[in-house]
Formats: sequence, C-alpha cells, structure tokens
Amino acid sequence: MRRLACLWFEWASRRGRVRAAEAWEAHAEGCSDCRERLTRQQEISRAAPALRKTWETPSLWPRIEKALAAEARRPSAAAVESGEPPRRQPRLVWLPLAAGAALFLIATVGLQVFRGSLGERELLTARNLPREPLLTEATLAEVENSERTYVRAIEDLSRLAEPHLKNSDSALLVNYREKLLLLDSAIGDLRAQLEQNRFNTHLRRELLTVYQEKQRTLEQVVKEVKS
Amino acid sequence: MKSIAANLLGNVSDAEDAVQESFLKVYRGAASFRGASRLSTWLYRVLLNSCYDLLRRKARHSEPQPAQTSRAVFLAPEEDHPLRLDLEAAVARLAPRRRMAFLLVEVEGFSHREVGEILGVRETNSRVLLHEAKRDLQRLLSAGGAAREARL
Repeated sequence: MRRLACLWFEWASRRGRVRAAEAWEAHAEGCSDCRERLTRQQEISRAAPALRKTWETPSLWPRIEKALAAEARRPSAAAVESGEPPRRQPRLVWLPLAAGAALFLIATVGLQVFRGSLGERELLTARNLPREPLLTEATLAEVENSERTYVRAIEDLSRLAEPHLKNSDSALLVNYREKLLLLDSAIGDLRAQLEQNRFNTHLRRELLTVYQEKQRTLEQVVKEVKS
Repeated sequence: MKSIAANLLGNVSDAEDAVQESFLKVYRGAASFRGASRLSTWLYRVLLNSCYDLLRRKARHSEPQPAQTSRAVFLAPEEDHPLRLDLEAAVARLAPRRRMAFLLVEVEGFSHREVGEILGVRETNSRVLLHEAKRDLQRLLSAGGAAREARL
C-alpha cells in the first residue's frame, strides 16, 4: 500500500507543475515504490518516439490534389445536376448587405453632422473631389515647405522667450517651461513616427496641433514677460 | 499526420484515407477557421476527428477490430526500442483521449499547449491525460510482462 505522501507527490506532479515534479523526483530517491514508478514512466517516454510511423506514400499527395480539385468543382456540378441555383450560406448573404446598410447609415449621419458644423463652407462632393490621391509627392513637398516656414517662425518666438524662461523663478513661467518641454518631446515622437511614413496625414495633423499649442504657449510667455 | 493516423487506426490505407479526408474537411471549412488556434493545431484536430469518424464508421459496418499495425509496410524506426512492440500493443488499448494525448506529446513531440488546442482542453488537462495514459501503460505493460512470464 502506497503512503499518503507518495500519492500526494504523484497527484501534484501530474498537474504538470515543474516544482511538484522535482519534489516527486527528490522524494523518489528515498522511496523505492515511487522510484520504480518514475523509472517505468521514463522508460515509456524513451520508447515512445519509436512508435512514430513512416512509410512511402508516392500516391497520397496526388490523390489529395485530385480530391481537392474535384471538391472545388463540386458545388457548380451539383447545381447543374439538381437544376437548382447554388445554395448560399445564409450568413454570407446577409452579412455584406448589413455591412452596406450600416456604412450607408454612418455616412448619412456623418454627412449631416459635418454639414451642420461646416455651415456655409462648401462640402467636398463627387464633382469637386480631386482625381489625384489626397497627398501626392508634389503636395507633400508643398506641405513640408510650409511646415518648415511655420516651424522657423515658432523657433524665432522660442528664441525670444527662452532667456526669460531659463532665468525666471516665477511659478507660472516654470510651469510654461515644463509644458514646453512636454510639447517638444511630443513633437520629437511625432516626427520620428512621420519619418516612417511621410504621407500619414493624421500624424501631420497631430503635429500641427502640437506646434499650434507650442506657439500659443510661447505667445503667453512673451505676453507674461512684457506685462 | 500519417503517423498519428496510423497509430490511431492501425493500418496504412485507413491512415491515408483519414489524411485525405482531413485535407478535404479543412478545404471545406476554411471559411469557418477563426484563427482562435494555429492552423497546424486546427489541422491536427480535424485529423483526429477524421480518424474517429472512420473508426465509428468501421465499427458500425463490421465487428470492431483491435488496432493492429501492419508492421511490414512501415519503414524501420530510426531509433528502435526493445519495449516498442509491447508499448504499441498497450497504446492501442488506451482510452481514446489518453491515447491521443500520449501520441501527440510523447510520439509526435507536441507541447501541452498545442495538445490542449488540438483536443480542445486546457493545458493542465493535457498533462493529466498524459499522466493517466502513462499510468495505464505501466499497468498494461506489467500485466503483459507477467502473462509472458507465466506462459514461459
């Protein structure tokens, strides 16, 4: 009769916990019953790979290919034989329709919202939509050029504000300084991401927002210093 | 795939049929593959189901036959073991899920995580199945050895 400890070790070990297996092995060193069990298990594991079967099957893959080709032809052939139109899976029939309807709904609602927010401004319609892709190499160069000019202007502003920011102990200016550091770090991140994909308009918009925020902050700093 | 099917079905021609059937099922069900498991584990899952479908069909149409491998057609294993023949007979007598866990882990070298995906159980359950399979094999091998000694 096995002792309770032996049963516990074996039970814990079979749950697959490494520590429990190690504990059982350690216990087996001093327990002949468990040692015998472990040895037999290890022997089975050593013998198992020999059960792997291999045999030559030169005709199997051609057979599978033939069966797959026959399977590919089957639905249309079955339809011809039965004289019925091919049956479609219900899900495949309604899914594109539902997706189309949902898209239409979203587009309609979105259009109403944008029309309201744009007021008198003209919306892009099918007639005035550009035929070219949204951001071509030429337009991108133009955007980058304007961006550079804008950045230069902000840098000028930054140079004006910098001495005051560095030398001031005012709590407000210290806050501005920290905010500007944060904005610079965000600008650095966005620039690094943009280098991966220069045509990413979403990133460009984000970068512009951050630059605008930097501009506002610098203007506030200059205003604060003047006052 | 052939090896698992041969170990489960016991002969080459059924094993090849099961492999072919699995490819057809995968082809038919490719649209329903949702990527919850890896494609390879899904393929093996389909294979195991094909093997058991085949066994059930055979059992319905004729007397159930114990799985016996037609050893003559198999190529000699790269590394044979003195226990192989007894082990092969004992594995054929294991309960289906324990047999599958044993074949997948110990013979084919799948991890318990993969076996869990193939059998549709948790990783821990795969370990338990393997342990139970080994325990049954020990018992069967001991009984077989004792019977041989008695005959001698």
